[in-house]
Amino acid sequence: MHSEDSNQIARSVEVEPIVIFDEVSKWYGNVIGINKLSLRIPAGVTGLLGPNGAGKSTLLQLATGQLFPSQGKVRVLGREVWNNSALNRFIGLCPEQDAFYEWMTGWEFVHTCARLSGLRRSAARDATQHTLNAVGMAKHQNRSVRGYSKGMRQRTKLAQALVHDPQVLFLDEPLTGTDPVARRDLMNIIERLGSEGKSVVVSSHVLHEVESITPNIILLNHGRLVAEGHVRQIRDLIDKHPHHIVLICDDYRRLAAQLIVRDDVEGLAVLAKDKGLMVETHSPDAFYGSLPGLSLAEGLTIREVYSDDDNLEAVFKYLVNK
Amino acid sequence: MPIFDQGYQHWSGELAGHTWRWMVITRQGVRIGLKNRFVRILLLVAWVPALMLASVLCIWGLLERNSDLIAPFIGILRSLFGPQSVADPQLYRIDVWTICFHYFLQTETRFSLLLLLVIGPNLISKDLRFNALPLYFSRPVRRIDYCLGKLGIITTFPAMILILPCVIAYLFGLLFSLDITIVQDTFGLLLMSVLYGLVIAISAGMLMLALSSLSRNSRHVGLFWLAILMVGAIMATVLEGVDHQQRIHAYRSAAGNVQSRDAIATAEIEASRTDWRPLVSYTADLSRIGQQLLGANQSWEKLSQWLPPNERDVFLLKLVGPQFPWYWSAAVLLILFGLSACILKIQIKSLDRLK
Amino acid sequence: MSSATSASEVGHPVNRSLRAGRFSLTALTTLFLLTLRQYMHGKRWIVMGILFLMPAGLAILIRATRSNIPSEALEFLIVYLLIPQALLPLVALVYSSGMLQDEQEEQTITYLLIRPMAKWAIYLVKLLATLTTTVVLTAVLTTLTYVAIYLGRDNQGQSVLLRCVQSISIHALAVISYCCFFGLISVLTKRVLIVGIIYTVVIEGVLANLPFGIRLATVIYYTRIIAYRTLDFVIPTPHGKENIAADAWQFNIKSDPSLLDHPQLCTAVTILLVSSLVFAALAAILCSRKEFYVKTPEKN
Repeated sequence: MHSEDSNQIARSVEVEPIVIFDEVSKWYGNVIGINKLSLRIPAGVTGLLGPNGAGKSTLLQLATGQLFPSQGKVRVLGREVWNNSALNRFIGLCPEQDAFYEWMTGWEFVHTCARLSGLRRSAARDATQHTLNAVGMAKHQNRSVRGYSKGMRQRTKLAQALVHDPQVLFLDEPLTGTDPVARRDLMNIIERLGSEGKSVVVSSHVLHEVESITPNIILLNHGRLVAEGHVRQIRDLIDKHPHHIVLICDDYRRLAAQLIVRDDVEGLAVLAKDKGLMVETHSPDAFYGSLPGLSLAEGLTIREVYSDDDNLEAVFKYLVNK
Repeated sequence: MPIFDQGYQHWSGELAGHTWRWMVITRQGVRIGLKNRFVRILLLVAWVPALMLASVLCIWGLLERNSDLIAPFIGILRSLFGPQSVADPQLYRIDVWTICFHYFLQTETRFSLLLLLVIGPNLISKDLRFNALPLYFSRPVRRIDYCLGKLGIITTFPAMILILPCVIAYLFGLLFSLDITIVQDTFGLLLMSVLYGLVIAISAGMLMLALSSLSRNSRHVGLFWLAILMVGAIMATVLEGVDHQQRIHAYRSAAGNVQSRDAIATAEIEASRTDWRPLVSYTADLSRIGQQLLGANQSWEKLSQWLPPNERDVFLLKLVGPQFPWYWSAAVLLILFGLSACILKIQIKSLDRLK
Repeated sequence: MSSATSASEVGHPVNRSLRAGRFSLTALTTLFLLTLRQYMHGKRWIVMGILFLMPAGLAILIRATRSNIPSEALEFLIVYLLIPQALLPLVALVYSSGMLQDEQEEQTITYLLIRPMAKWAIYLVKLLATLTTTVVLTAVLTTLTYVAIYLGRDNQGQSVLLRCVQSISIHALAVISYCCFFGLISVLTKRVLIVGIIYTVVIEGVLANLPFGIRLATVIYYTRIIAYRTLDFVIPTPHGKENIAADAWQFNIKSDPSLLDHPQLCTAVTILLVSSLVFAALAAILCSRKEFYVKTPEKN
């Protein structure tokens, strides 16, 4: 019976997205948490982004079955998630709140969570040790959680989410309050989980960190879905804001004179300090294609070319801070 | 310079002194407390006894003016306060007012304790739970300012239902009496009522604050509070009950089958003058202080004069409270106050001692 | 400086035959033990300790100041008036009010909700742990009280032991009923403390003492019936034997000596057990449909 469930879920993963939100709304009295959200989260690592109050935590709580949608349906691994505790075997959640059974040691806490997931005694013991090693907490596992630093607490929280080897992981702001070393370690762990075939949804508002983990993002604002997909694809679709391309060239003023007459150049700014130019254009691909020809024809050596806003921060700024 | 810096500008004025700094905490806490719908309902319900007090005082004022309006109430007043008081209401004015204020304050004490149960547990326990103490002590706020501010919150609410209604009911009583001598007779009563209200508010408030500082879970604080009130009261009842039964049996054994109600009542009243058992109950201690401040027992004794001597003690036994020395209760309340202050001193740590 | 292990380490050792159903006995047993451990922690024990020593302390105090009081009278006052009227409801309120609400306030309830355990199963297991704790504490409380009352008195060993066991059973039944009821209230409202106090003071404390039908809806009434029908409350006085319970509990034994107008022993026990089951089941059903708000805003 239970192996049938696993096979069915494994098959469903191949054909369906991991998480499906179908016209989901969630409100708390007069406060709208999620507003008519339709979303399909694919397998792999996905970043869930948005400013404070965007609805990220609400989305994760809906996806893990802690909240019931006021409208619509939420499905994870092909199954409805509300009141479906059996599905929790395949889901792991690293919650945002800094809450533990403070009187336990790190080992006891993760071991208890393993046992609560249904692992038998020896398996729970082994899984606890394995997971604590994986998150780098083996050295501190016998200390009380009360005495842990913020980074240790985040690692321990991640350990309890991993201990039962779930297929889907939801991480709610896992990097909050951690020092740079712990942050780097946790990001490595998340990348490794993705490479091991697990599906991970990471919620954060620290853009450059999410960007370094995954290019696939979901962007929320005021409870609505603003954008989803690859960062670059999203950027390309933002017509309202022209692309910013930076060119570094010693003879930047002569280059500027050549560029200013072109139709595809919408704006030009001189970066005297860097000996470069910032070009605004709505057709970046065509512009890139024409650069070699221009350089040869005019004898201009362009030392560096990069896009100033082909990144998550720019996407976030354009779509959210309107 | 013609162009001025729009960035951060350090405050270079004078800071207000510490004298009223605690009021900021009190004001904010009272504002938050009044937002609670249940607290507002409780405050509203707690004013019903105040309306009744004002009504009785008004009726007595009308009685003093021989008004026809209170004719339907004469029978009730006679049965409550005795026929002689109705015949000469001015002579018994202070006694009737005393008894009315006494019962009013007894009733409002219960409401106050319930109100403290609603607003009190969160005051310090929530600050401890959410680590809010650094928010206070990282500013020029001393521990005493913090404690006074919290005490201000927790005494404001009982004061709203203890002191304010007393004053308003008193004014109504004056208005309906239209006799200037009433101020001379009853002003002391008003002062004592206000003082009693303050004793209840400060004593109970301090105790609740101390309990609130002992736990980060406000539900446990509420349960501690209940344990002190309920269990203490029941323990006192059990102890008194056992003692009473023993006295009755002893009396019956000595007197044979002749049972004299008034003799039993006299013995009971005499025994209550040295009975320490009610001290175990916090509410009984508060009540004893109230009796002493207001002089309720003396008023009942005066009102019982119309009864034959052999019936007075039976009458008084039903109505007067414990008669043990009031300073026993005062000592208990002072000890609890001191203990509460010590607990607060230990539990509320300033910033340099916080982890 | 600690660092994560490399990606080339051996795969996860989770037992692949792990049960994915709702009724993993391992998970439920762990939750039961976790709840018991939670009850062992914190300052709650100080209050419990004071409460539990109080009846025994009271008995010793009374014996010291009034040494000629009959033990049976003292037993009635403390074991059958004080404990069931005040202590048992308070103990039940302390534990059952915080069953889920404490976890929610501490924000640790998330760790339970994301495990493969149905919410109703979580509730029932926590209730079971609460009942275990309160019944054990009640047994300890009652035993200590009996020791304080009868220690040093005439040798009545076996009968006192029997009465003690009977009292423990009756109190256990009462505390189970209170826990199930307050547990249901805690699922329905956050203000379980206020509701619990009003119920204990007004309904159980005042209305239950009235010789009217309302007392049929109180736990204390059935507790008294069971006690009255099981134990003997006739004590010798200077004026002959008196049934101290009948007067105190408003049983009119003059017109109805066998209390035929009142439920029989089996009926009373059945009512308490069935009502406890009903409260527990109702609370479990409500719990399964409830959302537990941890971080996101509560409904208005």
